[in-house]
Amino acid sequence: MRFNFLLFLLGLAGLVMMFAPLPVQSSPPVEREFRIEASQYAYSPGEISVNPGDTVKIHLVSTDVVHGLYVDEYGVSITADPGQTATLTFVADKPGSFRLRCNVTCGAMHPFMIGKLYVGPNLWFYRSAGLAALVILSIVFWKRSNQPTITAN
Amino acid sequence: MKRPELLTRLLITATLLGVVALPLWAWVSVLSNVEEPLIHASIAESGGWSPDVIQAKVGEPLHLKFTSDDVMHGFAVGQMEMQPVDIEPGKVSETTLTFTKPGIYTFFCTRWCGINHWRMRGTLEVSGEPTAPETVSPALYVTLGLNLDAPHLADAVPAEKPSAARGMGLLHQISNLPVDQSADYYRSHSPSQVFQDLSTSGLTDSQRWEVVAALWAQNTSPAALAEGGEIYAQNCAACHGETGSGNGVFADDLAARGEASMQAMSGSMDMSMQTPASFSDPQRMLGASPALLQGKILRGGMGTGMPMWGSIFTDEQIWNVIAYLYSFQFDYSK
Repeated sequence: MRFNFLLFLLGLAGLVMMFAPLPVQSSPPVEREFRIEASQYAYSPGEISVNPGDTVKIHLVSTDVVHGLYVDEYGVSITADPGQTATLTFVADKPGSFRLRCNVTCGAMHPFMIGKLYVGPNLWFYRSAGLAALVILSIVFWKRSNQPTITAN
Repeated sequence: MKRPELLTRLLITATLLGVVALPLWAWVSVLSNVEEPLIHASIAESGGWSPDVIQAKVGEPLHLKFTSDDVMHGFAVGQMEMQPVDIEPGKVSETTLTFTKPGIYTFFCTRWCGINHWRMRGTLEVSGEPTAPETVSPALYVTLGLNLDAPHLADAVPAEKPSAARGMGLLHQISNLPVDQSADYYRSHSPSQVFQDLSTSGLTDSQRWEVVAALWAQNTSPAALAEGGEIYAQNCAACHGETGSGNGVFADDLAARGEASMQAMSGSMDMSMQTPASFSDPQRMLGASPALLQGKILRGGMGTGMPMWGSIFTDEQIWNVIAYLYSFQFDYSK
């Protein structure tokens, strides 16, 4: 009975970890400008972070061959030739972390030319860290509740 | 013979014939396609165009198929009105060209594919009955006897960007200015020479520069500047910079290669030739006449990273680019 109650409590805690709305400090949306240099086969900077609701303006500067930039989930993209800076503007209205991908074949390692866009804090990271802690905790509890039965034998 | 048997015999004969005829037909159609080989594009360091010589006949449509072996390239024929063809790895792009005049044409890569992008060129030999011979006049820098490699620094530079609009007003007010408004005068004089010619006019220094700016504005048009700007962005900005200050994305690479090259050993001037020219430097730009700039663009930098554009652009396109280059020095806004 006591064990079942504990299991129920742990399950409840897990659900809270997964779905509870975390207090995210919301800042008024601003326009953020980034200058991303693209070369074979990397973006520099390779990771950019913004707050949800911000207007993101990316100036893509290519330094060797024709490169592109595609933002996963948002589905927006631009292409930049060396000497012709291209500008991509979009509103980051979906929170989470998204891949930036080169969408112009730029050589052998083209598929590995990726970057990352963070919109808001990485909630899934915190949630999964919390869940992992919970799992460790439950293993400890389980061991403890099992111990007397083992020693009784 | 019974009817079903006849039908069966016919069917078997047709099948047997088909087994032989189908592969034969496929083989023949593959053979006939050999006339249109796939042209492979790769960066200049790994060979450029393959093949780099294409034969064609006047009046006959030339069908071309391209693919890329590494990065994105483009195809266009110099001095020809055509839509450039983008060439991507893993895809085949096609175009059909028809030539009206025999001769040797240059085809070139239109998308930047590295520091040696401009070395990706090939020739297109168009054979046919020669039409009436055309008289070819030498370029203006040849008739003027200009030395393209001599330093050309202006003696005086304006304190601020001269306004063409104000200069236009002065041009209309004062009738007997010692300058000529013809295209020949504009092309053969540098802004600083015209500034010197105006020394007897009684105008202040800044007014004289404004008259110079007005003369330069008169010899171009917004449409010409727009075309020049487009050609500049596509072909020049990667080295000379989008703002014309010589700091394009390849500028550092060019400087590094210049230092490593043999030319760097003979003095600092040769070394500076390896860095792209800055069009926002008034001393250099105001000391150069349109004819001198045309010569530099036609001939190229010889040993530097500056390509020769003579076989690529028409005269009109080059004059438009030159007009655009001066817009880094003059204020053309109304």
